[in-house]
Amino acid sequence: MTGTSHRRRLPGRLALRRRWVPLLALLGIGALGATMAVRVADPESGTDGSPVSAPGAPPPPLTGHSLSGTPVDLAGLRGRVVVVNLFASWCGPCRDELPLLAETRRRWTSRDLQVIAVAVRDSTTAVRALLAETGAEELTVLPDPAGATAVNWGAFGVPETFLVDREGRIADRATGPVTAKWLDRHLTPLLGIP
Amino acid sequence: MRGRRIAGTLLLLVLLLGAVVGTYRSVRPVDDDPARRLAAELRCPACQGESVADSRSPIAAAMRDVITAQLGQGRSPDEIRTYLVRRYGAEVLSAPPARGWGLALWLVPVLALGAGAFPAVHAYRRHRRPAAAGSRPRAADAVVRPAGPSRPAVSAGRVWTAGAVTVLVLVGGVAVAAPRLADTSRPARPPDPAASADPVPDLLALARTMEEQNRYEVAAEIYRTALHQQPADEIRLRLAFTLIRIGQAAEATRLAEAVLASRPDTPDALLMLGLAQRGNDPTASTRTLRRFLDRAPGHPAAAEIRHLVGSG
Amino acid sequence: MTGQVGTGALGVGLAASVAATLLWLRHALSPAAPVRSARLATVTALTAAVVACGALEWALLRHDFSLRFVAENGGRHVPLYYTVTGLWSALDGSLLLWLLILTGYAALLARTVPAGDRRLQPWAMTTVGVVVVFFFALSYFAANPFHPVSPVPADGPGPNPLLREHPAMGLHPPLLYAGYVGLVVPFGYALAGLLAGPAGRRWTIPARRWALLAWTLLTTGILLGAWWSYAVLGWGGYWAWDPVENASLLPWLTATAFLHSIRRPHAAERTGWPVGLACASFLLVLLGTFLTRSGVVASVHAFTESPLGPILLGFLLLTAVGTVLLIGWRLRVPADPGPSDGTAPLSRSAARTFGPTDAALLGNRIMLTTIAAVVLAGTLAPLLAEALSGSTAAVGPAYFNRTVVPLAIGVLVLVGLAPLLSPAGSAPGELARRAAVPAGVALAGMAVPGLLSRPGPTVLAAFGCAGFALTATAVDLRRRLSGDGGWRAAARSGRLGGPLAHAGIALVAVGAAASAGYTGSVQRELAVGESLAVSGATARLTAIDRAGGDTGMTVRARLALGTTDRPTATAVPELTYDPRHDLTVSSPAIRTGLLRDTYTTLLAVSADGRTATVRLAVNPMVSLVWAGGALTALGGLLALPTTRRRARVRSGGVSGESARPAVPAAPGAVG
Repeated sequence: MTGTSHRRRLPGRLALRRRWVPLLALLGIGALGATMAVRVADPESGTDGSPVSAPGAPPPPLTGHSLSGTPVDLAGLRGRVVVVNLFASWCGPCRDELPLLAETRRRWTSRDLQVIAVAVRDSTTAVRALLAETGAEELTVLPDPAGATAVNWGAFGVPETFLVDREGRIADRATGPVTAKWLDRHLTPLLGIP
Repeated sequence: MRGRRIAGTLLLLVLLLGAVVGTYRSVRPVDDDPARRLAAELRCPACQGESVADSRSPIAAAMRDVITAQLGQGRSPDEIRTYLVRRYGAEVLSAPPARGWGLALWLVPVLALGAGAFPAVHAYRRHRRPAAAGSRPRAADAVVRPAGPSRPAVSAGRVWTAGAVTVLVLVGGVAVAAPRLADTSRPARPPDPAASADPVPDLLALARTMEEQNRYEVAAEIYRTALHQQPADEIRLRLAFTLIRIGQAAEATRLAEAVLASRPDTPDALLMLGLAQRGNDPTASTRTLRRFLDRAPGHPAAAEIRHLVGSG
Repeated sequence: MTGQVGTGALGVGLAASVAATLLWLRHALSPAAPVRSARLATVTALTAAVVACGALEWALLRHDFSLRFVAENGGRHVPLYYTVTGLWSALDGSLLLWLLILTGYAALLARTVPAGDRRLQPWAMTTVGVVVVFFFALSYFAANPFHPVSPVPADGPGPNPLLREHPAMGLHPPLLYAGYVGLVVPFGYALAGLLAGPAGRRWTIPARRWALLAWTLLTTGILLGAWWSYAVLGWGGYWAWDPVENASLLPWLTATAFLHSIRRPHAAERTGWPVGLACASFLLVLLGTFLTRSGVVASVHAFTESPLGPILLGFLLLTAVGTVLLIGWRLRVPADPGPSDGTAPLSRSAARTFGPTDAALLGNRIMLTTIAAVVLAGTLAPLLAEALSGSTAAVGPAYFNRTVVPLAIGVLVLVGLAPLLSPAGSAPGELARRAAVPAGVALAGMAVPGLLSRPGPTVLAAFGCAGFALTATAVDLRRRLSGDGGWRAAARSGRLGGPLAHAGIALVAVGAAASAGYTGSVQRELAVGESLAVSGATARLTAIDRAGGDTGMTVRARLALGTTDRPTATAVPELTYDPRHDLTVSSPAIRTGLLRDTYTTLLAVSADGRTATVRLAVNPMVSLVWAGGALTALGGLLALPTTRRRARVRSGGVSGESARPAVPAAPGAVG
């Protein structure tokens, strides 16, 4: 009842406009809230959206000469499953990951598995030393001294691992170190192992 | 009094001229580095809130090198942006593109300013109208001051209009002009499909970038990769030169000899061979370099080599 | 034991705050009801918060790893200072600090009752009470740091290493929180103004002092945060338009606009701006809390993902909807700015006119609100884009620099115009005469750097406008200082606050523009003995030291700064690897100078330890940003006395005036 005296003074048009402002504000808040609620409910959505190296896409080219001098071309490996691992000697988790990759390669070579390790922004000597230290000398290592290959593959850093299936498409991708469990879950189906 | 005023006005005019000239001059910064500018507009994908230009993460460093290399090949900033967006998604761009939802974002300042200013201007107009027409005389209304000769004041309305126009022009001018003027967009070039198919030019540009940054080991590594892809003499010689700089003369000698075997007396190969031999076999080196001077007395490096041979 | 005490305190606090809210509500509905019990309950809530904070701090100091929070954030190797600051280095503990500050404000607000706002205070207390209840419930049910862990670990990892790098860590979060939380009081008064009927019309008068206090603390908090970024993160900048930085800037912008919107209280009554801005400020505080604590945005400042997101979002939305409904229901703005009830004394009619000063103030509100809208849109756009279209996208510095910077330059012009305009208006010649000197300085500020260097048009515009603002403010300041009573009287009356804050903002603009336009940096791999140079600064690597300890591995690069023959200083940037967090922290070494900082960072060290990658940067005039920010905060502090005095004077008048129509308002008249 205290407001009535004021209310009477309002011209009709103004009163109408004032009504709309809160309504619009409410609509805005509702829309914002709904969208943010979607984000809160699903915090993991859309973390990888790079079209070039997304699962299902053909991988970017990967050619060159390995540390041992043999030519490597990913396109020529159609029909085999390829693990492409980006690593560097200056990266701690990569150091821990290399033995696992070497072991995986040894285990599944008979199933047409090929592992290509790309040494990102690293010197040849440091990579050789790391391979010797981790017992992973038999890995095919492709030097990427300036990191151009890593960028071309849309990598976020090292370690990063891509799985390329027999049809020559990217099947999966792991940012950060891979574990034996991850390889079991994602790699073995590609190899046709139940 | 009058003289002082004229002097003051003149001083202001001179300063205005200086400001205009200074701004005009300043449109193109002196140490303009297109690679850095492009990198500053990209977000480092592995970091939080840092640009590719500022980040210390290795992937950002790799992206900087890629940008430099691709610019070196004559690709436009737009092409490089597209290249990176295809790899890292739209979030690699620090500013949203002006289409789709990004356009809505760019419209926010305009709409917000309009939403704030329009009612104010409208309300003010409503105030003034009755005063001018005198249609609604209100004795107690103090809003409208009587426009008598006793008050030569600048009315609020004029200050408001002038101020608002000035501020808006300034804001708009800075917002629109600054980035466009600073963007020395090179002539648009159609995307080059061959460039992506053949990695060798990429690699060579990259290696040259590395050389410029004195990172010869990396450059050598890249030249080696390029040489595997395309066994060309020019690449062999570049690699040899890089190896000489990091003291790996033996391999440089081999490379230069390989070039000389297929194309005897190539001046550049003689030069590299001579430089590579200097450490182990000075007499052979002098001989080779003399041969180089005989073959190519007008070579850009000839003067220096003459000096070298003469003194050594 | 400590755990039980802490949990018990949180429970008591929850109960006390519920009681306090209800008691204050009763007092608001019937002013005759006794207020003592309400005050007692409020103080009890404060005591509970103190006990809870004390218990957690005690547990941290005693290394009581049986509590979850201590096990996750404590550590025997952590120095005492950073053990104390450990309280706010993670989510749950920071909520306790938040509660402590919030209940502190509530207790302060409960105590002071100027005669003028007897009808407002209970409503404000009720609003604040609801917020206190929410945060106590949040802490008690969802983020209780006192939960026990088993088995009890022998040692903890300590706080994130980035958070124990810099002494600012001890001040930045508490001050920022104090500023953040302080905005709850103006919000409470705004709602009180709506709820208390006609007596609520003058709510801005008591709210102003609180808003000013919160604003000053927030300014200091943001400044310290920027300083921390600059000194710890090592990329050489201090503001990255990171979502969390934006979240702290947003309420600052609206609070600044609010303070300007109530500069002339009688004019302020006539618009919806003050209510809108006071409410927006607190809602933005809640939004910032949500963004920081829910893990929806990735940021260096954000806490890790937590289950609090949905709860905070719910509270934010509920508050927002409630506020908007309340405003729509109760706010009545007179249709024309004439005398609202015909009883206004004629002497005040001058204040009713819409003079040039009002125009400038309105412009200021519009510009600051636009900046806030832009920052808000840019901060939320990635979330919205993802929720709507599923595409990930980002809005980074390029967007903000292109939108906010021009608007901020516009604000600078208004800052310069403010002291030139007189409220009633002045003759054109008079205005031109007053503006001549500032305009000359502005043009010189553009001409000299523009002719000597090429920093770009935006930087030049910022220089010019800042020069204009600084000169106009300095002239104004001199006039105020030379008034009767000298500077002492001027300081005591609070007339210096505004100009000082304006001068501070202009200085920040100069520093920011100079450091954006003239920064030079270079980074290269150096062997010992080699050097690198940029913008006249040279750094020579003299040694690389390695030191290993149980807290991690530290590598230091010793750099001689200055010319090769005559080194003038040594800088020792370092890299520390913390195995407990698997994190490498690069601590820059900064040589601060008046005109330029020499900023060195150690980026990497080769495996054989013979070469180090070093970044050398020269950042000009960054000191001006800190000095200007400090001056701004000082201005806010100096403006405080004036509000108290004005509040007393005005509130006396107001209570006398409002006594006429409002006294008959009986209990229940609020509807």
